[in-house]
Amino acid sequence: MATTTNSLTLTSTDLFDDSLSISNTSTCYKAGTTIGLDQTTGLTRTYVTATTQFDPFPVVKGATNAAENGKVYIANLSEEITEFITVGIGDAVIGKLYAGDFLWMPWSPKLQHVNDIEITPSVATGMHIEFMAIHNYANIYPDSADS
Amino acid sequence: MATTIATISLASSDLTSNSLGFTATNPLYTAGSATGLSLTSGLAKTNFTSTDPASRSKIIYRADNAATSGANKVYLRNMSTTPAEFFTVYIDQEEMGRLYAGDWAFFPWSATQGTLETFVVTATGTVAVGDSWTFDGITTTSTSAALNTFAQQVDNEHYPNWTTSISGAVVTFTARQAGVNGVVTASDAITGDTLVDLADSNFTMPITSGAAGTRSESDIVLLPSVATTMDLEHMLLHE
Repeated sequence: MATTTNSLTLTSTDLFDDSLSISNTSTCYKAGTTIGLDQTTGLTRTYVTATTQFDPFPVVKGATNAAENGKVYIANLSEEITEFITVGIGDAVIGKLYAGDFLWMPWSPKLQHVNDIEITPSVATGMHIEFMAIHNYANIYPDSADS
Repeated sequence: MATTIATISLASSDLTSNSLGFTATNPLYTAGSATGLSLTSGLAKTNFTSTDPASRSKIIYRADNAATSGANKVYLRNMSTTPAEFFTVYIDQEEMGRLYAGDWAFFPWSATQGTLETFVVTATGTVAVGDSWTFDGITTTSTSAALNTFAQQVDNEHYPNWTTSISGAVVTFTARQAGVNGVVTASDAITGDTLVDLADSNFTMPITSGAAGTRSESDIVLLPSVATTMDLEHMLLHE
């Protein structure tokens, strides 16, 4: 098994009267176990030049991993503060990642198109986006057709 | 403005044949600006304990509490130490995934709000001292024979589910939270109000206009996997 650790820190000296400091580290485990997740899409860096919605982690038709415990990282590498990507899942909009913003969230893919993760860039002038999944899904590939 | 810095780090020496590691650091700004997010729910800890499966989920953040399409950020952490215990995270009805023991999530939140139910009621006729109008569990008893004074009394109440504003004898009610509350049933009708006209003086509180609300479609909902007890740490930074 692999050992992958992820950590988040949130700090501020002026959000409150007192300083804020949150620091968490966890290990990426398979659902309900202490066995490390052993697959990854790899850290992908892509340059998008259209406002067309796309799936960064296409789910193969017929595959379901609804009980799995994958982790998703997505970052907007733009340096233009007004540029954002809208991240959605299934029929819901999660939120907008503005320049430099990132997310880390769990993802349990159901059947294709049911709760696919989707990214929509705000501009067609070119944006760099980074994304990665660490998982133990069956039948999910970064380059599969998503018909 | 406040400066809040978020940093994520990922590291593995054996997930792939070569070691993997990166760190990303970013200040948290309001949408499309370099102005720091300055509003927060504060770092909260919520306990989930129930033996009733139907009521175990909790709305952790309502879209009403943040700016729609803002660069809001949500932090969640499952504080359980039992590997099999997890929270299922939903945005409205859409399942995002599972947070197992020790797992955390940090993601943007567009907080798409619904609309607030609203209606207008007008004190009409001849009001007498002792006449009353009850709504939302609050009974207002007139201390005057003046309609405007009675309307002012109604506006002075603190309704649990509604806010009010006043103009003369006209009081506008607005729901505190978006949703289809079922109170406004037509543009001239609501449910749940009771009028007492002691002196039979034709005192009425007619609904002169109203509009039903719509629910928010991006509330953050968490469902624990067990009904014993689980703790969630969470924080919202928002516009």
